[in-house]
Amino acid sequence: MKEYGPDEILIWLCSCTGLDQRERVALLRAAGSPERLFGDFEKYFAELIKKPARGLYKSSGLSARRKELEELLVRMKRADIFTVTVSDQEYPEALKAIADPPLVLFGKGNRELLTRKKFCIVGSRITPPWAEKLGSAVAARLSRRFTIVTGIAEGGDIAAARGALGEGNLICVLPNGLDGCYPASHAAWKEEIGRHGLLISEYPLGEGVKKYYFHARNRILAGLSEGVLVISAGARSGALMTANYAAEYGRDVFAFPYNPGISQGVGCNELIKRGAGLCTDAEDIFSAFGMHDEAIDPPVLSREEHRVLAILRAEGELHAQLVAERAGMQIYEATAVLAALELKGLAVKAGGNRYAAL
Amino acid sequence: MIAKIVCYTLCGLEGVPIEVETDVNKGIPSYEMVGLPDAAVKESKERVRSAIKNSGMLFPVNRITVNFAPADLRKEGAAYDLAIAVSLLKASEQLIGAQVEDIVFLGELALNGDLRPLNGLLPILISAKGHGFTRFIIPSANAREARFLGGAEIYPARTLSQVVRHLLGTERMAPLETARFSVCRPETSSVDLKYVKGQPVARRAIEIAVAGGHNLLMVGPPGTGKTMLARCLPTIMPDLLFSEALEITKIHSVAGILGEEGIVTERPFRTPHHTATTVSMCGGGNRVVHPGEISLAHGGVLFLDELPEYKRSTLEALRQPLEDGTITVSRAGGTVTYPARFMLCASMNPCPCGNYGSVDLVCSCTPNEIRRYRKKVSGPLLDRIDLQVEVDNISYDDLSARKYGESSEQVRERVNKARRVQTNRFAESGIQTNAEMGERELSEFCVLNRESDEILRGAFEKMKLSARARSRIIKVARTIADLDLSESILPKHVFEAVSYRLYDKLG
Repeated sequence: MKEYGPDEILIWLCSCTGLDQRERVALLRAAGSPERLFGDFEKYFAELIKKPARGLYKSSGLSARRKELEELLVRMKRADIFTVTVSDQEYPEALKAIADPPLVLFGKGNRELLTRKKFCIVGSRITPPWAEKLGSAVAARLSRRFTIVTGIAEGGDIAAARGALGEGNLICVLPNGLDGCYPASHAAWKEEIGRHGLLISEYPLGEGVKKYYFHARNRILAGLSEGVLVISAGARSGALMTANYAAEYGRDVFAFPYNPGISQGVGCNELIKRGAGLCTDAEDIFSAFGMHDEAIDPPVLSREEHRVLAILRAEGELHAQLVAERAGMQIYEATAVLAALELKGLAVKAGGNRYAAL
Repeated sequence: MIAKIVCYTLCGLEGVPIEVETDVNKGIPSYEMVGLPDAAVKESKERVRSAIKNSGMLFPVNRITVNFAPADLRKEGAAYDLAIAVSLLKASEQLIGAQVEDIVFLGELALNGDLRPLNGLLPILISAKGHGFTRFIIPSANAREARFLGGAEIYPARTLSQVVRHLLGTERMAPLETARFSVCRPETSSVDLKYVKGQPVARRAIEIAVAGGHNLLMVGPPGTGKTMLARCLPTIMPDLLFSEALEITKIHSVAGILGEEGIVTERPFRTPHHTATTVSMCGGGNRVVHPGEISLAHGGVLFLDELPEYKRSTLEALRQPLEDGTITVSRAGGTVTYPARFMLCASMNPCPCGNYGSVDLVCSCTPNEIRRYRKKVSGPLLDRIDLQVEVDNISYDDLSARKYGESSEQVRERVNKARRVQTNRFAESGIQTNAEMGERELSEFCVLNRESDEILRGAFEKMKLSARARSRIIKVARTIADLDLSESILPKHVFEAVSYRLYDKLG
C-alpha cells in the first residue's frame, strides 16, 4: 500500500473545508506530525474540535481517508493543478511570515511567479472609469518589475489584472476552488490568466465561494506582496481590508487620491490620511522601493491634442461640449481629438459625454 | 352566355390578375362559386345579389356559375364584388354592347350598390399597368391614392349603377386626372431640432446617422430627450423622391394605413411598443401576409424605445433585414418578400436604475445588474448599430453658449449635400448611402491613408473590435468625411467615428 507523505496529508487536511485554519493548525500540533494525525484523525478530532463531526469529514476510518486522498490527487492531476505546502522551498517567504499562512496553496499556471517580487493592486467592484484605466496603466508598468497580485472581481481587480496580463507577470488569488470562477462572467479571464499568469487559492477543487472566504483571501493578497495599492475603496470595502492586512503585516500601502464626496474614493482618502502613500503614477511606487523604471516615450501629440489635454488637466472631468468651447473648436472636432487622446491612453470617457485626463 | 371580367388580387406587393367568369344557363335556379374562393368571397354572393337589385337591374333567376381563374390560387377578401356583379350583368345580357374585356374592375359592394374602398389599390394598379392594362374602374374613395399613377384611364365610381351607365355609354364618367407628386413638409411642426436643448454630441450623431443611412443607438438616463431627438430624425432626412414615395405608399396601401393624401409624402416614423411580437415586427398573418413594422418603416425610421425591453427573439429577427433591406416571410398563404430598408434608431438607459454615468445622481446598480441589462441586447445586433452615442443630462445652463438651436432645416441642408456626394459616388453601384456599401465599394471608395489605417489598427486592438465593426467604423468615417466635403478620409474623421463605438469598449 502506498504511504502518503506529509505534503499529501496536508492537502487532504486542507480539503476538509469544514475545518478552519486555526483548527487545522491545532490538530497538527496536537498530533505532532501530519502522519500521526492522518492515522488517527477521529481521536484528535474528538479531543480538540467541539463541533459535531458530521459534514466536516466525509467518512471515518483510515482506508476511507486514503481513498479520499487518492481521488483528490487524481482530480488535481487531471485538472493540471499543482500544490505548494507551507514547508516547501517554493512557498513565498512573505506569506510564511504572516500569522496564519495557508498550509497549502493550490495553483494553476506559471508556478515560477510565486518566488518573484510581488506587489498587490486591488480596487472595489464599483470603480470609476478613470481609476480603472489608471490602475491598468500602473499595473502594466509595475508588472515589468513586480509580479502583480490581485483578485478577479469586477472593477478594480480585473482592471489591474488586465494591465498586468500583457507581461504575464500576474497572480490572481481566488476565494474559491480553482475550478470555479466568481464572478462567472470572468471565466474567460480566468482561463487566460491560468494560461499566461498564475491562479492560486487555498481552497480545494470544487469549493464554492463563501462570504468569509473573501476575508481569508484578502490576507493572502496582502501577505504575498511587498506593498498594496488601493485604486478604489468605499467606506466599507474589501480593498480596504486588504490594505489593513498589509499594514498589519508591515507592508507598504498606497492609494489613489479622490475628490471629496466621491463614495468610491472615501476609503482611499481615509488610507492616505492614515499615512498611506499617495500614488498617481507607477513612478511613486518605484521610488518608494528605491527602484527606477526607464521612462516610456510619451506618445506624439498634435497641437490640438496638446491643447485639449491641457484643458482636461486644468479643469478635471469635463463635458465634451465644454472642452470644445474652451478649446474654441466645434463639438465634432473636440470629440475626434478626445477619442484620439483616449486611444493614446491619456484621457478616459467618464460617462455622460464627460472626459477626464489620466 | 359566358362573361369574362378581369380583377386583381395581391400577393405581397405584387398584383396577380384573376379572371372572373360567369355563366348564366337555363336550368334549376342556383348560384354557385368555384375556383378556391374563401368565406369572404363566397359571402359576396349575397352582396352582389342585393347590390344588383337595389341598383335597378335584374338578378337572373337561372343557373349561375361563377368561376375564378387561376383555380389554384386562394381567393380572399371582398375586392371581387364589382367584378362579379359586372360579369353577372354581362352574362345575363344586361350590358349589351359594352366593352368590358380590357377593363380591370376593383371594389367591394355595399347592399345598396355603393362601392367601398379596398386596401392595396396602388400596388395592384402598378402591377396591372405592367401587365398591359390601362383602363380601371375603382371605388371613388380610393381615387386619391390612384391619381398618382400616370398613363392610365382610371374611372372612380361611387355606385354600381354609375358603372353600368358608364359601360352602356348613357352617362360617361370622367377619368381621373393624374396628380403631380410634391413633398409636403408641415410648416408648423412641433417637432424640430431647434426645440432640442443642448445635446451637442447626440445632435451631431443623428446628423451623421441620417447623412449616411447609419443605424443609431442613444444611451442615456430617463428624461434626457432621447425620444425627442429620435422624433426629429424624419425632419432632417432628405426629401422623398417620387419612386421612393410610390414604394412606401404601396406597402402602406397593402397594410391599409394610407392617410388622406393617398400617397405617403413624409418619411415614415414607426415606433412599435416593446411588447411587439416578432410577427408584428417582421410581417406575417394567418393566411394573408401583412407587412410588419420594419416594412412600414421602409424608407424611414424604425424607432425602438427602451431597446433591452424588447423580446430577444424579436430583436434578433431584425438582424437579417438590417443587412439585406428586405424581409421574406413564409406563411400558409404563400411566401412574400417585402422591402425593409429602414434606419434603426434605438434608445436605452445605461443601467436598470438609469443613473449610471450621471453627473449628480448616484447609480444604485451593481456591475452584474448593469451587465445583465446590457446583455439583453446581443452583440451581433450592437455590431450592426454604427453609431452609439450618450445622451447626457447636463443642464442647459452649464453650457455657456446658446447657439445650439440649429433648426432641422439647416441640418437637412448639410445632410442633403452629403447625400448628393454619395449619389454621385454610387451612381454605378446601385446603392444610395454609405451604410449600404459592400466590400467592393469599401475597397474602392474608402481607401485609408497610412496614418488613418494605423489609427484604426490601434483602435481595433484596444477595443477588440469585430471585423464587421471595423468596416462599419470606416463607413461612418466616410460619412463624416462627406459631411466635411472631404475627398479622402482623414485621421480626424476616423477618430470621430471611433468615438461613436461606445459599447464595444465595455467588454
